[in-house]
Amino acid sequence: MPFEFILFIAMVGVFVVCAFAIKLPVSLSMLAASVAGLLVSGNGLGIRHLVEGTFGYVDTILVIATAMIFMRAVQESGALDALNIVIIKRFKSIPALLLPMLMLVAMFPGMITGSSSASVLTAGAVVAPVLILLGLPVAKAGAFIALAGILGMIAPPVNIPAMIIGGGIDMPFVGFELPLLLLTIPPAIVFALVLGLKHVKKVSWEEIAPKLEVETYKRYGPRLFIPILVVATLMVLGKTVPKYFGMGLPLMFLIGAALALFAGKRFNPLVAAKAAVADALPVLGILAGVGMFIQVMTLTGVRGFIVVNALSVPPVMLYVAIAVTIPLFGAVSSFGASSVLGVPFLLALLGKNQIVTAAALSLIASLGDFMPPTALSAIFAAQVVGIKKYSKVLKYLIIPSIVILAWALVFIAYSKQIAALY
Amino acid sequence: MQKHHISAVIISILMLAACVVAGVTFLEHRKVEPIVRGPGVTEIVKLSKWYPGLEGTAADTDVYIFKGEAPGGSMLVLGGTHPNEPSGFLSAVLLIENATMASGTLYVIPRANNSGFSHNDPQEGAPTGYHFTLSDGSTRFFRYGSRATNPIHQWPDPDVYVHAASGQTLSGNETRNLNRGYPGRTDGTLTEKACYGITQMILAEKIGLSVDLHEASPEYPVINAIVAHERAMPVASQVVLGLEFSDITIGLEPSPKNLRGLTHRELGDATDTLAVLMETANPSQGRLRGRTDEALALEGKDLYYIKAQQLGRLYVPFDEKGHSIEERVGRHLSALIEFAFAMSSEYPDQPIEINGIPAYDELQQAGLGAYLRPLQ
Repeated sequence: MPFEFILFIAMVGVFVVCAFAIKLPVSLSMLAASVAGLLVSGNGLGIRHLVEGTFGYVDTILVIATAMIFMRAVQESGALDALNIVIIKRFKSIPALLLPMLMLVAMFPGMITGSSSASVLTAGAVVAPVLILLGLPVAKAGAFIALAGILGMIAPPVNIPAMIIGGGIDMPFVGFELPLLLLTIPPAIVFALVLGLKHVKKVSWEEIAPKLEVETYKRYGPRLFIPILVVATLMVLGKTVPKYFGMGLPLMFLIGAALALFAGKRFNPLVAAKAAVADALPVLGILAGVGMFIQVMTLTGVRGFIVVNALSVPPVMLYVAIAVTIPLFGAVSSFGASSVLGVPFLLALLGKNQIVTAAALSLIASLGDFMPPTALSAIFAAQVVGIKKYSKVLKYLIIPSIVILAWALVFIAYSKQIAALY
Repeated sequence: MQKHHISAVIISILMLAACVVAGVTFLEHRKVEPIVRGPGVTEIVKLSKWYPGLEGTAADTDVYIFKGEAPGGSMLVLGGTHPNEPSGFLSAVLLIENATMASGTLYVIPRANNSGFSHNDPQEGAPTGYHFTLSDGSTRFFRYGSRATNPIHQWPDPDVYVHAASGQTLSGNETRNLNRGYPGRTDGTLTEKACYGITQMILAEKIGLSVDLHEASPEYPVINAIVAHERAMPVASQVVLGLEFSDITIGLEPSPKNLRGLTHRELGDATDTLAVLMETANPSQGRLRGRTDEALALEGKDLYYIKAQQLGRLYVPFDEKGHSIEERVGRHLSALIEFAFAMSSEYPDQPIEINGIPAYDELQQAGLGAYLRPLQ
């Protein structure tokens, strides 16, 4: 039995005991598992490795923390309630059109930023209350925006997992737009309708109006939406004229949050920021823990053990290995899975059309954002819709995940034929 | 004091202690290990000589100049473009400490991405450095760095890196990759400024041949290979044949026209230099590797790569012998000797004659430490 296997079992074992028996937070359980890996492998306490591993997520942590502050500010200003009123009034009678449109709106920040968390925490937080008002059960509304998060992350123009996979074989991110649209838009429309259509009745404005807080919109009008519009504009400008507007998401979100102070209802910014960061803290802690875990896995050879064993399957089982190992590894990080497994699998599939294959692999990697314990997309979606246990959201993501896997594998299997279509 | 306050104090103290311990290691990594000036070095200047905008920045780096006894052609060797690829850096170090020029001029930049030597890549578990025992029993230490510029010197990364000259997009972390930033620009990032400095140096000194030394993971298709700009193909072809005579098998790849920002494409397009890049096999930077430590970086032995080879997943032979640092540096140095020879045959009025470079077999037998000079 390889030593790396024993090490892997020891790390997972310590994590399970800490998380489920001792009931430590997931972040601390990851820390304990990482320390166990260091000790068993003879690397001592390896404090440098623990700290260095967390640095892989510094940027992500900043984006999430500032996105949460922005959303809290927008919510406190009354803009979210106002936006619900505008959307429902306009589209109340055509649910078959409304649902896919809401899905696209929820996907938009992910398409622009390449981050599922940004999608769920921004547009997702706008769309979710509308879905609930339209009759979707809360958990399904969470699943709706979680799916929008990962499909937005994969849809063009920005797809970071595909860039990471392509970068591993020196393939520039060119020519990916069409395959990525084909991979994401049809499932997005189908999921929007399947999740929502049977719940969304033709809504009567008179029925809903009492449930909505209309006073703020009456008082402040469209100026409430200025922070959201400014952030959306900055995101687009950041991509189109990066030389002048490439300021990064954290600063954009903080600008938006500052504008929210003057756009609507008055609120205490310090209290709002503190509450937002407190909400985000468990996830930020998990990211730090995951960073340590990956570093220790790499240092000790556990990562190599996993990757080589994933590649060891017979050629006929390669698709099964892709379908199982990439999302599983995505439990620690979807970007990590893209780099660690996406690149070797793309190399194993060199006979295929490389762009379509890399695009499909990136879609599979995105499923890592549904995979516990990190499950970023699902956790944030649950937080946005106000559910404490994200497993309730996760339940509605199982079948869509299987569909996404199958859809992506079809693209890999028929990559050449698909590429010939355009 | 309430119970949760006590917990908070204990956790804060533990975190502070962890920060101090890790901080000391990170600061230590910024120390620059000495390279001993060899008999052939006639001048050491900073890259900022050619682009003053680099002066005082972490990207300013030493350029070692070897003026030959007789005039001739000129050649630039870039080591440490990716500081996590030790054979590129160490080949440059061995040149500096051993080479002499009979004719022509040699320019060597051992730390092309100087900033990249001051940190490790997060989540890669890389060693901080590696040691060699010298003939006199003393030891020399060199740093194992990162593929990219230190975020302390250039941060944050954009989501997407847009190559300025072409508009090509790559993953955001490539913004700090020196070998994606050529030909560079003055109003760009620190990495792009370093690229600009190197390009300016080639233009100002009219350098005839530029060789960028790299390593690749064994699962990467371009490995044990020369990648050459189209104008460098005739010279590179001679080098391949020359190495074959020495039983060193090496591939020759044309520089892709649609992959922008790399030395073999941009330096060849932006200047008159013949631009080439060389790769050796380094398992310590691969995704399939087992335990990551100093031994892996130097000996290049890895059980998981052997398994991957048996599975047909690699682009380079891999067995129990691995790919030692002596083999990898030996390949680079042998190719450099062949390049000098090929340039001299192709351009007889501009000869480049380098002496003192350890031969491939000598390196394998005596070990790399035998060709490092003791520190004073």
